[in-house]
Amino acid sequence: MTVFRFKNLGLLLLFLLVFVTFSCSKKPVAVQPPPPPPPPVVPAPAPTITLRANPATVERGQPVTLAWQAQNAATVQIDPGIGAVMATGNRMVNPASSVTYTAKATGPGGEATDIARVTVNVPPPPPPVERPAPKPPDVSIDELLRQRVQDVLFDYDKSDIRPSEVAKLQASAAFFKEHSEVRVTIDGNADERGSQEYNLGLGDRRANTVKEFLVMQGVNANRMMTVSYGEERPVCREQTEDCYQKNRRAGFTRNP
Amino acid sequence: MMKKILALAIVVAAVTFSRGLYARVQTPQIQTGTRSGVIGVKIAVPEFQPLGADAKSLQLTELFNKVLWDDLDYSGVLTLVSRSFYPLGKFSGPGDIKPEDWTAPAIDAQFIAFGNSRVGDGRITVEARLWDLKRPDNREAIGKRLGSTDTEEGARLIAHQFADLIIELIGGGIKGVSLTKIAYISDRTGAKELYMMDYDGNDSHALTNEKSIVLTPSWSPDGEKIAFTSFKLNQANIEILSRIDRKPYNFVRQGGTTTTPVWSPDGSKIAYATSRDGSDTEIYVADWNGRNAKRLTVSKGVDISPFWNPRTGREIAFVSDRSGTAQIYIMDAEGTNVRRIIMDGGTAVNPAWSPDGQRIAFAWQKSRTSYFDIYVHDLASGKNDQLTQSAGDNERPTWSPDGRHLAFESTRNGSSHIYSMLADGTKVRQLTQSGKNQGPAWSGYLGQ
Repeated sequence: MTVFRFKNLGLLLLFLLVFVTFSCSKKPVAVQPPPPPPPPVVPAPAPTITLRANPATVERGQPVTLAWQAQNAATVQIDPGIGAVMATGNRMVNPASSVTYTAKATGPGGEATDIARVTVNVPPPPPPVERPAPKPPDVSIDELLRQRVQDVLFDYDKSDIRPSEVAKLQASAAFFKEHSEVRVTIDGNADERGSQEYNLGLGDRRANTVKEFLVMQGVNANRMMTVSYGEERPVCREQTEDCYQKNRRAGFTRNP
Repeated sequence: MMKKILALAIVVAAVTFSRGLYARVQTPQIQTGTRSGVIGVKIAVPEFQPLGADAKSLQLTELFNKVLWDDLDYSGVLTLVSRSFYPLGKFSGPGDIKPEDWTAPAIDAQFIAFGNSRVGDGRITVEARLWDLKRPDNREAIGKRLGSTDTEEGARLIAHQFADLIIELIGGGIKGVSLTKIAYISDRTGAKELYMMDYDGNDSHALTNEKSIVLTPSWSPDGEKIAFTSFKLNQANIEILSRIDRKPYNFVRQGGTTTTPVWSPDGSKIAYATSRDGSDTEIYVADWNGRNAKRLTVSKGVDISPFWNPRTGREIAFVSDRSGTAQIYIMDAEGTNVRRIIMDGGTAVNPAWSPDGQRIAFAWQKSRTSYFDIYVHDLASGKNDQLTQSAGDNERPTWSPDGRHLAFESTRNGSSHIYSMLADGTKVRQLTQSGKNQGPAWSGYLGQ
C-alpha cells in the first residue's frame, strides 16, 4: 500500500512540475512588445518621459519606489535591472548600493530619457575586533621537529643504522644543532615478532644507537633521553612485513 | 653353564636395581617428560551432600563439589574415577560407605573423599573425610570439619583447603597449590594493568590503575609483594606493590630502560635489566629497594630476563643476544662463569627455573617462521622436552611452587590468554577469558 501511495505521489509531483514549468514559460510571451502601429501620415510628436525615485536616499535594505510616465512612446525601457515596461507605472526596488536608473522612451517621433539617482547609505562596518597579534610566519618548534626529524627504521632483529636512514639522521642532527633549546626522548620500538621481553631490550638498543649516531654528529648527549617500548606501541597493527617495518622504528618526542 | 648362570645373575641384579631406582624416582614428584603416562593414585570423590534443602545450601555445596573435583583432578598426583561408575546412593557420612563397593574392579579406588555440608548462621561448615580403602585397620586418613563464611569465596576456600590436605597426604608430603595465586598483565580495560587471580582463574582483579603500560610481574618469595615494569612516566622503571593493601614500595629509579625484575630466593635482592650505564640492557642486581646496584654482565647487545636458581640462589639464568640471536645463558650470581645452555639454534627466551633447581622451562622458537613453544630443559642431562605443540605462540612459562604445574601465555585461541598445565604438558586449562593476557607469574605458597 505504502509503495503505491508513494508512486502516486511521485506521479502527482511530476505532473505538477511539468504544469508549473509550462505555465511559467508563458510569462515572457506576455511581455512581448505590441506590434508596431501603422506608419503615421503626419509627423509623429516626440516622446517624453519622467522617472522619479521616492525616496531618493535610503538606508541599505529599505525599499524605493520608481514611478515613470511616458507619452508618445512605443516602448519604454528602464535600466538597470527592470527592462521593458508599460508607458506609465511604478515599481518597488531594493538596491543594495547607490544606483542611477535610466528610463528610455522610444516612439515614432524619436527618443527621450530621464534618470533618477537612488543613494543607498551603507552602514559603517563594525569596528575591527581586537585580534591577538598575528602569529610569526614561521611554524612552531613542534611542527618543525615533525617536519625535519623523521622516524628511523630498522631491519628485523637489528639495531644498526642502515644506509637508507643516514640522510634522515644527518638532517635531524642539523635540526638539533640549529635549535639548541630542544630536548627530546628517543623511543625505540620493535615489531610484534619475537619475545616481548627481548623486544624491550631490542627497542632500547635501537633508541641508543640513534642517540649515539646523533652524538657523533655533534649533538650534546645530555639533550637526549631514551626509552624502549618494545612491541607495546605499534603504529601499524596488521601482520604483514610492510606493517612490521613501520613498527621497527625509533621516534622522537620533545621534552617539555 | 657357569657363564649362563653368571649372565642370568647380572640380569636379575640389574632389573632389581633399576626397579629400586625407579621406585625412588617415582616418589612424590611427578615424572617429567611429555605424556609420560604416569597414572596417579585412584580416588573416588562422590558429591558432598548438603544437609539443608534451601537454595543457598544447594548452591554453595555444588560449588564446593566442583572446586574440590577440579583441584584434585588438576593436581597431577591423583586419578579421579568417573562418577558414572559409582554405586547408587548418597554418601554423606561413614555409615554410607561400603568399602567393597569402591574397591570392586570397575572402580578400583584406593581412596574415597566424601562428606556433607551445613549452611546456616552466615557460615558454611563441611564435614570432610578421606578414607584409605585398602587399609581396613586404619581407614580414616583425614577427618576434618572445615568452616568459612557462607559465600562463594568461602565455599571455594574450604574446597581448596580440603584438596590441599588430600594432595599433601597422597602426593608424598608436598603441599598442594590450590591456595596460590597467579599475577599477570591484562589489557581488558584498555591499558595494560597488573592483575591477580586464584591459581584456577577465579577471583581475578586488577592491582594497578596506571592507565599506561605495566609488564613483567615477579613475586617476592614471601608472596607479599609484586615487582613489575611500569611506563607511568614514559620511562621504563621498576615498581613494587603489596598484593594485600596495594601499598607501593620505592625502588630507586635507575635511568635508561629498566625492566624484568626478579626477586632473589631469600627476598633480599632484585635482579633486573637496565641500560642505565650504557647503550644496551645489562643484568644488574640491587637490594630490593634499588640501592647498591651492581652490574653482572658486560656484553654488547641485549641482556635481559634474569631468573635466579630458586633452590640455591647461587646462579642466575638470563637471555642474551651476544651470539647474534636471543639465547639462554646461566652465570654465577656474581656474573662469572657464563655458559649458554640451549645450543640448538632458533631463539630461546623466558627462562624459568623449577623450584627444585633441576630444570629450566623456556620458550623456544626453532626457526623464524615457527611458533614459540614451551620446553623444559633438564640441566643434568641437557635434554629438552617439548610441552606445547604450537597452535599459536606459547610463551613465558612460570612454575607453581610444587614444581608440578606451569602457567604460560598462548595465542592458540586467537587472543593471548593465560593457561596452566601439568609439567608434562597434560591437563591444559585456560584461566583467563577476556582481553589480551600476558606474563603470568605464579606465586609461592602464601601465608594462610
